[in-house]
Parts: sequence; C-alpha cells; structure tokens
Amino acid sequence: MPGSDFEHIDVGHELQPLRLTLTPEQVRRYAISARIPAGRFLNDEAARLEGLPGQIAPGNMSMAFFSRLLRESFPGTRLKRLSATFRVPVRPNQPLTVRGVVTEKHATDHGDFIECDLVLESEDGERWVTGTASVHVPPSSEA
Amino acid sequence: MTVSFDRSIIGREFDHTELEPITAEEILEFIAVTGETEPPPALADLVAPPTFVVRVRGQRFVPPNLAGVTSGLDAGKDIEFGVPIRPGDVLTSVSTVHDIYEKTGRSGIMSFVVLRTVVTNQRGEQVAVIDQRMMFR
Amino acid sequence: MILDLHTHSDASDDSRAPVETYLKWLARKRDVLPIDGIVLTEHRQWNPAQDYRRLEDHYGILILRGAEVETDYGHVLVYGVNADITRRFDFSDVRLAAQEVITAVTHMGGIALPCHPGRPTIGLCAHYATKPPIEGVVAVEALNGGSRRGENERVQHLIERYGYRAVGGSDSHLVSHIGICATEFDRDIHDVEELVQALHAGGYRPVDFRNGLRQGAR
Repeated sequence: MPGSDFEHIDVGHELQPLRLTLTPEQVRRYAISARIPAGRFLNDEAARLEGLPGQIAPGNMSMAFFSRLLRESFPGTRLKRLSATFRVPVRPNQPLTVRGVVTEKHATDHGDFIECDLVLESEDGERWVTGTASVHVPPSSEA
Repeated sequence: MTVSFDRSIIGREFDHTELEPITAEEILEFIAVTGETEPPPALADLVAPPTFVVRVRGQRFVPPNLAGVTSGLDAGKDIEFGVPIRPGDVLTSVSTVHDIYEKTGRSGIMSFVVLRTVVTNQRGEQVAVIDQRMMFR
Repeated sequence: MILDLHTHSDASDDSRAPVETYLKWLARKRDVLPIDGIVLTEHRQWNPAQDYRRLEDHYGILILRGAEVETDYGHVLVYGVNADITRRFDFSDVRLAAQEVITAVTHMGGIALPCHPGRPTIGLCAHYATKPPIEGVVAVEALNGGSRRGENERVQHLIERYGYRAVGGSDSHLVSHIGICATEFDRDIHDVEELVQALHAGGYRPVDFRNGLRQGAR
C-alpha cells in the first residue's frame, strides 16, 4: 500500500468483511498445523470427552483470520501488533463474519501506522472474538 | 473452588527451548488452512504469515509449579511482531510468568496467568513477543 | 448532557483502547454519537494520580473517573471514589460484599450502581433469584453496550419491582464501541461531585446509539 493510499484511509473506515464458515476438517488441519492437536479441536467426539458440546476452533485460528483481513485490506503493509480476546468458543459449520474498522492513524519518521478494532461475530451479530491491531505502512520509497 | 496461584513465580523463567528448523512445508500448510486466497510466492520469497508464530511452543507450556494444574483455557493473546519467519529459521522461545490476577465473569471466579514468550531467530533477531492469557477455574 | 458512564481504557486488563483514541473517535463521530463526556471505570483498580485534564481541554470532552469492582452480587460501578473509599475497600478483591459497598460508598460521599444486572453470574438479576435484595440501591445499569441478547431486557423486571432508576453505558473495551450506550442527564455535569449528586437526585435516562440512531432504552 503506497504512502499516498494511507492518506485516503480515514478513521472510521470499515474494512471489507471476511465471510466464512469453518469446516470440521479445516479446524482439525489448523490445530495440527499450529501444533495444538488437543481433542477439542479435532472432532466432536473428542471434544465431548472434554466436556464440550462439540468441536471448537482454537482461538489462534481467529487471530489468523484477523491477520488475513488486515493483509487483504492493506496490501504491502506489515502487521506490528495483534491482540485478541476469545469471548465465546468458535465452532465449525457456523457462518462467521470478520470485521474491522480503522480507529487511528498516525505518521512517524519510520512510516505510518493504522490502528484497527477487529471483531469475529456470529450470524446474529454476537461478538465471539474481539481484537485490535497495529499495521505499519512502510514509507513510499520502500513500497 | 478457584485455583490460587503463588504470585512469587511472576518473572520467573520456566522454559527455554530451541526448536527444529522451520520448513517450507509447514509454512505452506499453515497458509492453506487459514484460507489465504492468493497463491503463495516462490519458495525463495516464502515468508510465514504473522500468526504462524503462535505455533512456537517450548517444552513446557505452563510453569511446572503452577498449583497442580497442567492446562487451562486460552483467553486471549497480545502479540508484538518483529522480523518475519522464513524457511530454515531456527527459533528459540523463552517463557516467563508475566502476571497473575483474578476476576469474575459469566462463568464465575476465574484465575488468570499471563505467560510471556519471547521468540528469537538464529541471528538473535526478535521474531515476536507473545503474551498469552490462560484462564483457570 | 450525555455521558457514557461505563468505559474501560487500556488500563483495564481486557481493554486495548487508549483514552486519547476514544476522544478522537468521539470527536469524529459527533453526528451519530453526541457524547459530552465519558467516565473511565477501570476494572478492580484506582489510580489517584491519573489526570486527564490536558485531554479534556484539547478535545472538549469531559473525562471523569470511577471504578468497576466485583462483589458477591456481581459487578458494581463506583463513582466519587476518594481516599476513604479506597482505604475501606481493596478494589482488586473479587469477593467484596455488595451491601457493604453500596452502603459505605454512599456514606463516604460516592454512589455505587450495579452494572449489567442481566448478565449471568455477575449481574444482580441472577443473585436476586436466591438472595435478599440489596438495600440502598438507587439505580442500575439498564442499558449495557456489551451485553448479549436478552440481558438488557431482563433488567426491566428488576427496575419495575424495586423502583430502581436506570442508567446506560457502553462498557467499551474497544475504541469503536465508546458511546454506543450512554446516559442523558437533564442537568449539566462538570465534575464527579456533580455526577454523584445527579445520580442520587434523578432526572436521567439511558440512551441507545447502537444502530446509528438515538433510541431510548426499552
């Protein structure tokens, strides 16, 4: 994202949402790839043995979707900070929407920064994961 | 009954692990399962997505003297990102107990332990600082 | 005058919202969020040295401070925190006695209001199902911006049965959630003392800005 595009991003700018539905297989593969192959992430049966109603997605997976939203919204930038609070377990086979909004932008000698609020919400708008991010926009000479 | 933690363990290092080199296959699989829609770059230019760093885990995930508990629920994370991870990188993770506190929520009284992991690569460059909030009941 | 009575800055463990960024957001969103001031009600803490007058002057938005403490009847917002109150109560204690908090804070010049009463476990409704009501409650947070579906609605029964007044607050932990619920006062408020007086006296109501339009609380 060239420096000139940064100037056109306003506080309040809403990112194009990501809409997705996780499959049980996708969650299982993520858990293995992320080296957290706990039963609750692998299938419904193993999750029930842990006292859960069914398979859940790792919180880290939600962070991956936050990261993807930011990368797709602000190509050419670098993620400097990402935080997330896992409020409600995310389950496969449920439509999800990942949203973001720009809350701050500031210029420094080392490039510009965009701050965002992030939310992963259910089909009926309940906030399951909330977060914030700081994205570094490199100077135009490095774009 | 809630778990009670000894606050004297705050600041204490409980894990220091050097991991096996990161492979391109691991990075590509991670990209695939997070639904990245763009085709990955050539291997020479391959860089792991930022959240790939959460798979860095030392030999101990929690301190050994943590009031008899061995696992909790992941309540959230704060990650400061440094240099990217590339195939062949050898990462070292050093973990300490950063904070301990109690709070009440919908599920009752909860004890939180914040574990801080600093990840560096073979050049000593900081890859990430990860604060993980573990919740115990 | 409209104040968001329940907000958390990055001083609270689960918020990532700097105070100044809240003010910048409100300044830009004034057309849909006509908020005149905010009250920072950090979780389980009180820092007597914190001073936001520079930010108040720069942004023209009133910044007051309170605290959100945790009791045996759920969470409670405390306004008018002073040295007497902090000597009496350890705000980091998650097992404070609600009746003591309500009564003592009032005697010491403040006011304590149960927040998100409809929330399971940490709201008044759940506790009133099995325990006697607390004496001396003046108002409750009938409109909380962080509550889930049905939780705000549950409070109406409480208000009608016990005659509590109603306030609103965003319970914001993110910048973009500030001011989505608030309290409208009939009088102007310039400082915490006037806020405490107003909350005791009445003449206020919750207001809802969640849909981009001002609505009264149902």
